[in-house]
Amino acid sequence: MLDQLTLSDVVIDAAREVFETMIFMDIETPSDAQPAVTGQAITGSIHFKSKSDSDLVIDGKSMLGSITFKGMLEGCLTISVGQSCAECIAKNMLGMEPDEPLAINDVCDAIGEVSNMVMGSIKTRIQDIYTDIEVSIPSVVTGCEMHNSLGENVSKVVASAWLDEQEAIEFTFLYREAAS
Amino acid sequence: MAKSLMIVDDSATMRKIIMRTVRMSGLEFDRTEEAGNGKEALDKLQGDPVDIVLCDINMPEMSGSEMVKEARKLDCCKETKIVMVSTESGQDMIDGLMADGANGYITKPFTPEKFQEKLTPLMN
Repeated sequence: MLDQLTLSDVVIDAAREVFETMIFMDIETPSDAQPAVTGQAITGSIHFKSKSDSDLVIDGKSMLGSITFKGMLEGCLTISVGQSCAECIAKNMLGMEPDEPLAINDVCDAIGEVSNMVMGSIKTRIQDIYTDIEVSIPSVVTGCEMHNSLGENVSKVVASAWLDEQEAIEFTFLYREAAS
Repeated sequence: MAKSLMIVDDSATMRKIIMRTVRMSGLEFDRTEEAGNGKEALDKLQGDPVDIVLCDINMPEMSGSEMVKEARKLDCCKETKIVMVSTESGQDMIDGLMADGANGYITKPFTPEKFQEKLTPLMN
């Protein structure tokens, strides 16, 4: 069984692999972040944020890519970014110039694919422990101040980071071990 | 000798990304086709077969694994090389796909170098 601190590293490492390989953007986590674990052994949360990173928030219209998984471990991964950041990610993936127009459907599609790839990379990293994880097709929604939840007895890892030292991005991994 | 390529993925964005990455790899194709799922791919292949198919696994209507099985029943696809491109990375699943007739496997996220490494032997 993975603990939450390890899982947080897994989420960030998976995201870093995807962003550096296919989106050509660097992910920087707050250097002085101190994880705060709350709740019980199974139900808790980690937020990688620190006082000096008070600017690391996603304001205004944003996009939330989410993908669920089931098996020995079940839950949901979400990726939250601001609208402009989402467009930047999509244009980098497609090799477009910053000022080229891009349809909203393409941006949604790109954020869905990012969610899919990050979840796939997470699955690869934990499949020695959780051998039977099945992943859904990703979905993307737009809105403001979006939050996700998955009922009770769920653990939560939240990893906030900077993309190319400019844009805030947040990865939330909600999970629980399936009853044996 | 120039070859033909088909990219099968339900995401139009991912099809563009794969196409871009193939170009960056330096591999040259004289004809490229796209399909949004396995069924659409089989329909197109029966009308006009290609040398290499790059195929996602999780797709609506007909998955990549179903497509491989069906393609191997068709005379027109006997020489077609099918390479799966997916985030799925379980060895059992990869072994199953290869047993069903896939010729290779590329895991997302991918690089141009990975496409070159996997596709070059299949193009000769």
